Amino acid sequence: MENDQDDSTEEPTTEDNEDEEIDEFDDDETTRDLVVPGEILTEDTENFLPGRGTIFNSERTKIISLNIGLKQVKKNYINVIPLRGFYTPRPGDKIIALVLDKNPVKYICDINAKEEGILKPKNTVKRGKPRGFRGGAPNHQDDSTEKYEVGDILIVKVLSADRLNAPELTTVGKYLGKRRDGLVISIDPPKIPRVIGRSGSMIKMLKNLTNCNIFVTQNGRIWLKGGDIAHERLLIDAIKKIEREAHTVGLTDRMSVYIENEKKIRGIN
Amino acid sequence: MPLIIKDEYPEKLFREDGKRLDGRDKHELRPIKMEVGVLENADGSAYLEWGNNKIYAAVYGPREVHPHHLAKPDKGILRVFYRMATFSVFERKRPAPGRREKEISMVVTDCLDPVLFLELYPGTSFEVFINVMDADGGTRCASTTVAALALADAGIPMRSLVSAVAMGKIDGELITDLSGIEDKAGEADLPCAITWFNEELSLLQFDGTMDIKEFSECLVLAKEALNKIHEIQLEALKKKYIDIQEQYKGGEKGA
Amino acid sequence: MMNIKRVISTIEKNYILSNLKKGERIDGRGLWDYRDWTVKCDVITSAEGSSEVTLGDTKVITGLKYEVGPPFPDLPNEGVCTFMAELLPLASPLFERGPPDEQSIELARVVDRGIRHADCVQTKKLCIKENEMVYILFVDIYVINYSGNLIDAGGISALSALISSQIPEGKWVDGNVEWTGNYLTGETIVNELPMVVTYGKIGDMIFLDPSLPEELVCDGMLSISVTENKLASIQKSGTATFSMEEIEMLVKKSMELAKKIIKELNLWQYKR
Repeated sequence: MENDQDDSTEEPTTEDNEDEEIDEFDDDETTRDLVVPGEILTEDTENFLPGRGTIFNSERTKIISLNIGLKQVKKNYINVIPLRGFYTPRPGDKIIALVLDKNPVKYICDINAKEEGILKPKNTVKRGKPRGFRGGAPNHQDDSTEKYEVGDILIVKVLSADRLNAPELTTVGKYLGKRRDGLVISIDPPKIPRVIGRSGSMIKMLKNLTNCNIFVTQNGRIWLKGGDIAHERLLIDAIKKIEREAHTVGLTDRMSVYIENEKKIRGIN
Repeated sequence: MPLIIKDEYPEKLFREDGKRLDGRDKHELRPIKMEVGVLENADGSAYLEWGNNKIYAAVYGPREVHPHHLAKPDKGILRVFYRMATFSVFERKRPAPGRREKEISMVVTDCLDPVLFLELYPGTSFEVFINVMDADGGTRCASTTVAALALADAGIPMRSLVSAVAMGKIDGELITDLSGIEDKAGEADLPCAITWFNEELSLLQFDGTMDIKEFSECLVLAKEALNKIHEIQLEALKKKYIDIQEQYKGGEKGA
Repeated sequence: MMNIKRVISTIEKNYILSNLKKGERIDGRGLWDYRDWTVKCDVITSAEGSSEVTLGDTKVITGLKYEVGPPFPDLPNEGVCTFMAELLPLASPLFERGPPDEQSIELARVVDRGIRHADCVQTKKLCIKENEMVYILFVDIYVINYSGNLIDAGGISALSALISSQIPEGKWVDGNVEWTGNYLTGETIVNELPMVVTYGKIGDMIFLDPSLPEELVCDGMLSISVTENKLASIQKSGTATFSMEEIEMLVKKSMELAKKIIKELNLWQYKR
C-alpha cells in the first residue's frame, strides 16, 4: 500500500545541512582564550559591544562573560562561544525528536530542549497530494495520530518556537520523517558545529573513514548507521573525542589520524 | 540511641604554639580541591573536598517544573536541594530531610538566584542537588561554592560565580574557615557568600556574640578568604579544558 | 547513547537486541563480561566504615554507622545489621526526590538478603551483653551516578564498607557500656564474602552486567547472590521469564564469576 509508505524513507545525507553551518570553534576570530562566568573580557567599552554570551556590567564600564567558553572578537562585538549549554529551538532547525506520548490531536516529542515539542498530524503529511490510492478509501492520516508510535525516532523541522509557546514541529520536508533503524547518540549541543566542521569538513571525513551514514542535528543528537557495529563503535568513539576536544586546535587533522590508527588497532577497515 | 564514644569538645581551641587544633594558622583555609563535570548524567556537576567536607552537586535544567503548580509564567525558578548523607555526621542522621536541611536549601537558593537570568526561562526550573557525603563544619558555605561551580559547568548563563566561607570567633580570636569542632565549641559563626559581579554579600548568617569592631574586621578578613576561594573555583572550572588544550599544544589552527 | 529518557526509542531497543543476537554489545564487551570495577575504602571520615565503588560509569558510595541498643527479643545475643539505599536525584534524571521508591527499596533488600543469608556478618560478635545491649549497624548505600546494574555495585560497596569498618569496642560494666579503647574491625565482623551477580534478559538473550541503555530496554533481570560454594539469594525483577535450564546455567555461571571477581578485587586488603 502506498499509504503505508513514509514520505521519507530515503536515506538522509549530510550535504544539505552542512553548508549553512559555520564552525564557530574554528573561526579565525575565535581565540583559544578560555573564559568563565564573570570574567572581564574588556574594559574598552568605547570600541566594543557585548555580543553573544556577554553583557555590560551595571556601570557599563566592562564587558563580562556569562558562560564558560572561548572568547571571540568579531568586528566590534565581543562574543563567548559556549563550551557547555542546552539547546534552544529556533524555527528552521532540523532536529531529532523522540515521540514520548500521543493523543488524538497531537504527538508530544522530546527534543532535548526545556520544553517538549508538539507535532500535529496535519504537519506529518504533505498537503495538496492526492489522497487515497486508486480512488480507494480516503486517507485519515492528516487528522489522526496513527502514523507514528510512542518510542519512534523522527527527524523533524522546527516550525515555530518562541519563549511562551511549546515549539511546533513538522515531518514534511526533505530528509524528514521516521528513522526505521540505526542509532541515535547525544552530545553537548554547543559542540555540534565542531562535529560538522568548517563547511562540513569534519562530517565528510567521518563518513568517508568509517563508511557510516550520519545525520547531525542542532539539538545535540546524531543519528548514525554503519555496515557493522565495529564501525559504528569507532564512529561513536570519534564523536565523543570531538566533543571532549572541541576547544582545541587542529582537530580535523588529528581526528583523521586517530581514526586511521584506531582502525589498525581494532583490525577493521 | 547512644554511641559508645561520646562527642566531646576540648576546652581550648588553640594549641600551645598558637595554632588551631588541626594545625592551621588563624586565617588559613583548609585544603580545598574542586573538580567539575564529575557526574555523567547531570547537565552540570561539581565535586568539592574542603578539609573533611566532601560534597557533590549536580544541576538539571532548564526543564519542566514538577509539580506543575510551582511554575511561574514570567520567570524560571531555581530550586536547591541540600541533603546530607546519613553517615556524614558523628551521630547517624535520619534519612528523611530535616528542618536544618530545608533551611539551608532555602538560604542557598536565595544566595544563587541573583547571578542567574531566570526571567529568560519562564515556566521552567533549574534544579540543583547538593549531597554532603562527609561533613566537618561550614557545609552551607562549601555547598554554595560547589553549587555555583556546577551551574557554571552546566553552561547556564551567569553574571558571575559565587564563593562562600564561614568566619568565626574561638577563644576570643577571629578566625577564618571554621572546622566542625570550632563551629560547635566556638563563640561565633558567620557564614557569608559573595556574588562577584557586584561584590556584594548574598548569603549572610550570624550566630554568637561579637562586638561591632570585630564584626567589621571579620568582613574584611572574609573578603580576603573569598578571593582565594574564587581563584580555586576559576582554576577548577578551566582545568578540565586547559588540560586537554595542553595535551595538543602546538597544533596548527584551522587545518 | 541518547540522553536518558523514560521512553526508550524503538530503534535503540532493536539495535541493542539485534547486536546481542550477534554476541555484540554497544560498549564492546562480551556477553559475560563485567565493566571495569574500582573500589576505594575509608573515603568518609565521619563514617565508621565506607567505600566508593564504580562499575563502569555507575558510582556508589556506602557508609557504615553504628549505634548500641537492646536486641530483638527473639535474638537476644545477636547484633543487628540494616541496609538502606538511596537513589539520589543527582545520579540520574530518572530518579525523583522524596521517600524511597520501589527501586531503591529493592536495591537495599536484594543487597541485604544477599549478605544476610550468606553467613557474612557475624551478628553474634556484635553483642555486648546478652538481652541488654547489642550493636546496630547501619549500612547506607548512596547512588551517585546511575549507569546500570546498581545491585552488583551496591553489593560490593556494602561488603567493602563492612570490611573496612572500625567500630569502638564496648564492654558491659555495671549496667552501662564503656569503651575499651579498642576497635572491632572487618576481620571480626565479616566471615564469608558473598557477591550478587546480575543478568539482563531481552527477548531470549541473556547477558551479564546490564549497562544503562541495556537495563532500560531489557525485559527483566535476575540477580543471584552466591558465596564461594553456596547460593544465598535470588531475585528476579521485570517481566521476563526464565526457563529452568537458563536459571541452572546462570547459577553455575554466578559461582564462577563471583569467585573470579572476589579474587580480583581482593577486598580483604581494605581491612583496618
